[in-house]
Amino acid sequence: MSDFFEEYEGYPNYEKMAIHDEAHGKATRKKLWMVFWIMLIVTLFELFIGFKYSEVLGETNKEYLFIFLTVAKAFFIVFVFMHLGDEKKALKYVIIAPYTLFIFYLAFMAITEGVYSWHIKDVISAVAMHQ
Amino acid sequence: MSNQATAVPLKKDWEGGVSPFGVSYGKLFMWFFLVSDALTFSSLLCAYGFMRHKFTGQWAHPNEVFHHFPFLPGRDLPLAYVGFMTFDLIMSSVTMVLAVEAGHRKNRKQVMMWLFFTVIGGLIFVGSQCWEWYHFITGPELTATYHGVYRDYIMNGQHIINPHFTGANLVVNSYTMLPTFGDFFFCITGFHGFHVFSGVVINIIILLMVANGVMEKRGHYEMVEKAGLYWHFVDLVWVFVFTFFYLL
Repeated sequence: MSDFFEEYEGYPNYEKMAIHDEAHGKATRKKLWMVFWIMLIVTLFELFIGFKYSEVLGETNKEYLFIFLTVAKAFFIVFVFMHLGDEKKALKYVIIAPYTLFIFYLAFMAITEGVYSWHIKDVISAVAMHQ
Repeated sequence: MSNQATAVPLKKDWEGGVSPFGVSYGKLFMWFFLVSDALTFSSLLCAYGFMRHKFTGQWAHPNEVFHHFPFLPGRDLPLAYVGFMTFDLIMSSVTMVLAVEAGHRKNRKQVMMWLFFTVIGGLIFVGSQCWEWYHFITGPELTATYHGVYRDYIMNGQHIINPHFTGANLVVNSYTMLPTFGDFFFCITGFHGFHVFSGVVINIIILLMVANGVMEKRGHYEMVEKAGLYWHFVDLVWVFVFTFFYLL
């Protein structure tokens, strides 16, 4: 397959572009371990909050904090571990933008309708009893 | 002629002849696959969010359901084992990214070592999930009472649900009145566990390819990077499942 692309004169060999030397590798590894420690501390913090301080924070604040920390962890995984941060702007937008838009919409719909279903559950059961 | 050849890479992104995204076709389509897979998992979690809000107040508290730890029977350690599983998956993600980094230096031995650790981490995770499923299905009191095994039975033409039943299946569970809780547990963690399993298989295949010197022949280790993308995605999904299913 790679021969097929090499037939085009001047087609860049993207597979080999990420190859780097020892010094560059050392800096990369340092960054990766740094991210690992951040993620480990965040996870331990989440567990700690989860069953020690849930009463202090309040249920809603705790939920928002968890969601924020989860999105922060997801950012580190996608942008550092999956190297999306090193890619071109076009690829970043193509991956992140449609997904984020769609999921905001879907989550909004699911939560709104779920809360609504909870509010009208007595109405539904009353109608069902009546029939 | 040689002057012309050096002039060619100056083409603009969308003029053709180059990849506008600056990646190879394999990596680009791995990303597209991962976006579609992420949409599948997101829809599962959004459906979970819908049910969770619909049955506010009736839903099971995960830290009361998942409070067992292997080799420590009877101890109340809420979510400790799930925390360990999360740590294990993040750790294996780190070893995977180190394998990718070693691949960028074309260091075959280091790639094999880190890939091997990644496979071990993945196997630990799958095994932990088996253990957790076993305890979720059999319930906490299986060893104490055998009569809890039968969920329901037919007597005199009537469908009777055993009040001593512990554990869970797709129809009923002893943690809550809602079968939906068990259904979502099996569906979401099962779908994720299957992804982890296939990721382990992919990693083993890549490890064998590296060991056979296939990547040396190609001159680059991009296949490790593509498998790494999939593996990080599995870790990414677990981060969300951990928060939305276990913590909230």
